[in-house]
Amino acid sequence: MKADWRAGILAAIFIVMEGCWLYVFMSLLNSRVAEGRLSVWGLLLVLPLAFAINSLLFRLRWPALARHAVSWLSWAAAVPVLVKIQLFNSLDWLDVAWLLALPEALGQILYTFRPELLILIGSAIIWWLGRRLAIHQIDFAASVGELQFGLAILALTFLLRSWLDVDLAHQVPVSVTFFLFALLGVSVAHTYEGAGWLSGTDRGQWSGLLIVSIGLVVLLGALLVVAVSPEMIAAVLSVIKRIWEFILKVIMFLVSLIPEPEPAELPPGLQMPEMGAPEDSGWLVMPESLRNILRLGWNILVLGSILFALGRLLTQMFDWLRRRLASTAGAEVEPLRGAFRFDLLRLLRGILSKLFGFRLSLRPRQRSGSIVPEVASVRQIYRQLLEWGAAGGHPRQVSQTPDEYSSVLSRLLPEAGLALDSITRHYVSSRYGLLAPAGAELEQLRQRWCELKQNRIKEQARVHCKQEV
Amino acid sequence: MDKIARQGMERGNLDVSAIGQAAAGFLDNVGKVIVGKRDVVELVLVALLCEGHVLIEDVPGTGKTMLAKTTARSLGCSFKRIQFTPDLLPSDVTGIHYFNQKTSEFQFRPGPIMANVVLADEVNRATPRTQSCLLECMQEQQVTVDLETVQLPRPFLVIATQNPIELEGTFSLPEAQLDRFLLRLKLGYPSEDEELAILSRFKQGNPLDSLPSVIASAELRELQKVCRQVYIEASVLSYITSITRATRTHPDISLGASPRASLGLSLASQALAAARGRNYVIPDDVKHVAIPVLAHRLILKTEARLRDRAVEQLVAEILSALPVPVE
Repeated sequence: MKADWRAGILAAIFIVMEGCWLYVFMSLLNSRVAEGRLSVWGLLLVLPLAFAINSLLFRLRWPALARHAVSWLSWAAAVPVLVKIQLFNSLDWLDVAWLLALPEALGQILYTFRPELLILIGSAIIWWLGRRLAIHQIDFAASVGELQFGLAILALTFLLRSWLDVDLAHQVPVSVTFFLFALLGVSVAHTYEGAGWLSGTDRGQWSGLLIVSIGLVVLLGALLVVAVSPEMIAAVLSVIKRIWEFILKVIMFLVSLIPEPEPAELPPGLQMPEMGAPEDSGWLVMPESLRNILRLGWNILVLGSILFALGRLLTQMFDWLRRRLASTAGAEVEPLRGAFRFDLLRLLRGILSKLFGFRLSLRPRQRSGSIVPEVASVRQIYRQLLEWGAAGGHPRQVSQTPDEYSSVLSRLLPEAGLALDSITRHYVSSRYGLLAPAGAELEQLRQRWCELKQNRIKEQARVHCKQEV
Repeated sequence: MDKIARQGMERGNLDVSAIGQAAAGFLDNVGKVIVGKRDVVELVLVALLCEGHVLIEDVPGTGKTMLAKTTARSLGCSFKRIQFTPDLLPSDVTGIHYFNQKTSEFQFRPGPIMANVVLADEVNRATPRTQSCLLECMQEQQVTVDLETVQLPRPFLVIATQNPIELEGTFSLPEAQLDRFLLRLKLGYPSEDEELAILSRFKQGNPLDSLPSVIASAELRELQKVCRQVYIEASVLSYITSITRATRTHPDISLGASPRASLGLSLASQALAAARGRNYVIPDDVKHVAIPVLAHRLILKTEARLRDRAVEQLVAEILSALPVPVE
């Protein structure tokens, strides 16, 4: 089977996976924001559409800015059409009311969140996901990351649904489908890379392994369908809900232990002025602005705690699964220590950098004060190179040395081999030998990096592959 | 000036070019006899620079003894060969005290171990008792005979060979003995071109007969001292310990690498870095020497052996899983 077909299969699996968790999440929003007026499946059609358009754009030899512009203009054109089809189907296409609905909703964003805005934001996220699928290479790490991320979203959505008393029954088949395709995606990606679970001569038998993997996944899916029922999920969630309510009761009890301030006695002859009873008769009176700030802080704290707990829970679950796999005879276990934390941090960093337009470093702070500036500069350039490689779909594997990573990138970009070699050589001597480059060398290194980052790895790799064929 | 910047300047001052030149000369010289196998020869040089011992293990006829003899000939050092057999006694290796009738007193007659380079050929054919007499020699560079301790000449290097196929009439080396070898090397069969080159090279005669020595004994001692000064950054040191520690917790390994293995890995990495002209160690050096340094020190669990798992494969797996210290 050719590489393009394999990539196509993986992309199709990813579209279904993402469609499933998006459906569950969007259904919740639809029921709360739009009172179920939207057709979530209709909205999800944006995902394959975005993938198809962006794949097509990616094949064109246009500048990156032009591709960005055309892609997002396509989305902007699709949004009013979606609004018309979803919310104003009864109106004629020539009636301008449906065209004005979106600007009106944007104008009232501070007062109310209308379904038009849900379509706008939801379709933007779905478009971005489709675009990401078209641009980035899908590999084993990506499929595992997608499984973890989808799992987290599903868990969060089910928890919210339980708190909001929204019916869960319709979501179970979609969630099971997500698991099916997630496992299928992991299997296919792993088999495609030809490493790991099966060793020896069996590695090369891609088609056979694919059939076995699909068979196993279908079997597992059948077992899941039999074992998991809406009642079971509801029971588990109700237990979590009760635990949370108990924690809240404990907190309220602790708050009630704080004594209320006693009124000071007035000097003789003075009388209290006549006052109306305050609206808020709480134990602590504070200005409304301060109260709002504290409320916001409390919400952030609670949300952060929930996310942290979820993260820990999922990490433990994956660790447990890996340990169970390790105890199985004949199985090899992929070391994915810290993978979930890494994915989560990467997601947060991506969101923050998109929102605020700067890169927020979430890695441990470097002791840059104790390193000579030239060494720090070389290391900074290399960090940028790592980010560039990762953005091009070829992140450095944790066990790869700088030279090994350089040779991987050089194979993809043969014409940039000299620049890659130079940057890597200087980085290695700075990082492991603490040898600072001279000023002229550093300047030359910066120039090489500027030239190098103009290249796009995936494009070049495709061209290279075509030439080889 | 801060500490790290000063260290960097010190790194820059350490000159390893002499080691690089010696390495190139040694590789070329050995290459006159041994066709191909430059990687293996480079690792032998690493062992020389660390003053570590080498165990060459492979099937008969692949050039184990030839490599050992060529190495010894390339060094301007004293060389002795011991052919290990089941009837070899410890005193045949270490030496004995004999009664000199002329002087009417006991005198020490040194055994073949008293040389700079000792070739212990087919070491697994001797009994464990004789094998064990090498323990003190290899670790402490001294030998005790009849309560008298004699220092061995420096540099001291044991190059042992063994055949892993034959089991009859052989005694597997004990773990304590294996742990004293810095590296275990395998030559493997040559490629077709290499085999043709061997045939043509040995047609006229044995090139070993006219092989000159390229590194003198005193020079080797100096190079060994310089090697120890090659810089290892703290995170690379942690990487080394994480590799050896991972062998101790691996589910398929019943006995992991010892602290002596960590030390060996560190020394071998330093020597390889110096041989390649660098005065600092990089993770590639550690990865390159990890299998030769660690594989012979690990013991597989029975179930892993039944599943045809090889120690080299496990070390490679550990290396492919452990994070390399990068940004």
